[in-house]
Amino acid sequence: MRFPRTLLTVPVAAALLLATPTAALADESVHVKLLELNNSGASGNATLTALDNGDLKISIRSTGLVPNSSHAQHLHGSATGMDFHCPDMSADTNGNGYVSTEEGMPVYGDIFVSLTTKGDTSKASGLAVDRMPIADAKGNLSYDRTIASADLPKGTVEHLKDLHIVEHGVDANSNDKYDLDGLGESTLAKSAGLSGIPEEATDPATCGMVSGAAVGSVPVGGVATGDGSTRDRAAAWYGAGGLALLAALGIVVVTRRRSYVLSRAQR
Amino acid sequence: MTRHRTHALIIAAVLAIAGAAAIAIGHHDEPAAEPPLTAPPAAPSSAPATKVGHDVLTRGKLLPASVPTRVRIPALDVDEAITGLGQEPDGSMQVPTDARTVGWYTKAPTPGSLGPAVLAGHVNFHGADGTFARLSALHNGDRVEITRQDGITAVFAVTRVDRYAKNQFPAGAVYGAIDHAGLRLITCGGYFDRRSGHYVDNIVAYAELRGTE
Repeated sequence: MRFPRTLLTVPVAAALLLATPTAALADESVHVKLLELNNSGASGNATLTALDNGDLKISIRSTGLVPNSSHAQHLHGSATGMDFHCPDMSADTNGNGYVSTEEGMPVYGDIFVSLTTKGDTSKASGLAVDRMPIADAKGNLSYDRTIASADLPKGTVEHLKDLHIVEHGVDANSNDKYDLDGLGESTLAKSAGLSGIPEEATDPATCGMVSGAAVGSVPVGGVATGDGSTRDRAAAWYGAGGLALLAALGIVVVTRRRSYVLSRAQR
Repeated sequence: MTRHRTHALIIAAVLAIAGAAAIAIGHHDEPAAEPPLTAPPAAPSSAPATKVGHDVLTRGKLLPASVPTRVRIPALDVDEAITGLGQEPDGSMQVPTDARTVGWYTKAPTPGSLGPAVLAGHVNFHGADGTFARLSALHNGDRVEITRQDGITAVFAVTRVDRYAKNQFPAGAVYGAIDHAGLRLITCGGYFDRRSGHYVDNIVAYAELRGTE
């Protein structure tokens, strides 16, 4: 009996060893809250989900953006553990009332991934406004894209919770479009070799910080953690105990009655 | 005659003692008392999106990701190794292949990092009581210590213990987004359906990260 049981234990132990969690990263879904920046009136929510195959699924829903306009958006930060966060108005070093992209970068970090609608997603596409999502007539923006693991900078998935999402494009003179009359020409675009781009188009409108995380792939239904094999054990013990007590009582009664009868007969 | 009677009484005494012992064992083996079927906690409210310049929207201490290796629950005398759990082909969570080992669901955050880490263990399996046999006896504040591959032990405190029907499992509350480092310990409970061979309910203990050791 004991021998076959030992034989069984070995493969089970081996299987357990193999099943021990490895260094593979946990799938998880990181929730990002996009907060208004530069009094833009815009806000939103985003979800970054690390998929089984190492790809990154990004989903963004924003409201209150400049309508019918493209909004450059990026993951900012780094995978080297730098402590970036979202800027407040104190980052407006030139005092024009707006935190520009250059003024924000020391706080939220450099462009890590450009969240374009198609094609390249590297830092080089940071100002590729022709491939950036466009807010609808009501200023709502909806963005969904899965970026292949090969196109992600090293350490992206590992540092998802350290990254920030920044959406650009404000409307300083409230005419529902980007124009040079608002804040003048974009110094950022100019330094990148693009002239005539309004500063309104490149100033940040929202900055997103991680607000929570969830299970990456939700299991279906409940969890089958039990086969009921010991649930009746207590009842079995109670039954056996009760029978034994009854038998003891029976013996006592029978013995006493017999001795009683006998002693009476002897008299 | 007297001798015969003495023998009978000795047998009766032995039976009585054995019976009392059996009842005591039965009492000890009785499944832990379970909470009533519960409504899941309200969806965690995320921070209001009104202010700018926040450093964090999350709550409490957060650790970097690291795979769990061992779980200790002093209140239940539990000290067991942890294995990895994926999904079955039907999409349900895998379960450990023996009564003792506790499983960590790998498609979820690691214990101590932001989000809900999920551990599952049997209430009983193949004739043995499981490591989570008395999970429903946990009280608020009870410690759950998870040792991780990076050598850090994440110390959690139980915040609630609920029982849910499996066919109405509150996936949002158990697996959904939370703003802190959380832990969910899952086992079976409730009525055992002999025809399906499964319990109809799940016991879920919720815990939050309190510190490290």
